[in-house]
Amino acid sequence: MNTDIPNDSPRDPLLDLKLDAARRGLAREAAPGELEAALVARFRKLPRPMSRPRFWWMPPLALAAVVALASWIVRAPLSPANDGISIETSGGDAGPFLALRPLERIALEPGTRIVSTEFPRALLADWGLPVAPDRAGEPVRAEMLYSADGEPLAVRLLQ
Amino acid sequence: MPPANLEPELTLLARMKKGEEAAFAALYQRHKDAVYRLALLYAGSAALAADVTQEAFVFFMTRPGQYDPARGTLAAWLCGVARNLARRHFTRREDATDPQDLADDAAPREEHIERDTPLEKLLRDEAAEEVRRALMALAPHYRDVLILCELSELSYAEAAQVCGIDIGTVRSRLSRARAQLAQRLLPGRQGRGEGSKEAVT
Repeated sequence: MNTDIPNDSPRDPLLDLKLDAARRGLAREAAPGELEAALVARFRKLPRPMSRPRFWWMPPLALAAVVALASWIVRAPLSPANDGISIETSGGDAGPFLALRPLERIALEPGTRIVSTEFPRALLADWGLPVAPDRAGEPVRAEMLYSADGEPLAVRLLQ
Repeated sequence: MPPANLEPELTLLARMKKGEEAAFAALYQRHKDAVYRLALLYAGSAALAADVTQEAFVFFMTRPGQYDPARGTLAAWLCGVARNLARRHFTRREDATDPQDLADDAAPREEHIERDTPLEKLLRDEAAEEVRRALMALAPHYRDVLILCELSELSYAEAAQVCGIDIGTVRSRLSRARAQLAQRLLPGRQGRGEGSKEAVT
């Protein structure tokens, strides 16, 4: 029975008896059992709400990291063209760099630097480059690629 | 009466909204009989009541966001959905109540009296059948509060939520509805209690 029936209106006991009888009749009724199965099946067919997993950003981030690492590992800092001799070209009138050490080693050298310099042309013969005897005494301008500890790695003649 | 602690039910509701089937089943188990009985009172036949119950829960599962916990209990909201669906089935038999009629205790108009016996399968004993006949003779707005407060045992606040009226109106309508019901059920009791003042209006 509803417990908050107003107190300001007197209740008729005979009316309450009749309402009790109606309530008892109603209490015997229950929803058909087959309804639940039908409703649950219907619920199952509903589109699921979109929900992102808690760490949804981890797979794409990991993939990006792997791609970046792989590209850094396999990148070729020196061009493999020209039988491995030319390591780099620069703009202007400068020719290509000529490798004085194996390309694989040059590629792994950290902290290399380029220095403009001038030296006797005869020095080119020490690196296995052809030198005309009549010009051996002439100076030659060049850019040198040095390793971090000062070892010449490549040379580029400017004239 | 609503449960004192709504938290478990709201937790179930949140889980249901995420698609958890067990949560929906649990909520259905909690409210199915109340919704079905209310539908029986309005719809009158077991088959129609089952249809209304099913429609009410389909509405619930597809639009759970329409229930606002701040405005009342889930039980009352489901009863309101079932009531509206059941009444929609019978709009041709039952016109909307003229607001003018709500201002006084006018006797029910002829078109408001349902002469069918929609509850006869529900209320089998003689006393219950007598109540049913008297209920069906009342105007819909009086029948509403009697069904909700007396037979479905919703609180005043929940009945107000279902009907979209304030609690004071629920109280006054219920008082008048009881008086009219008493007048019909207990004609020899006029002059006492609820029948004394209001049933003669």
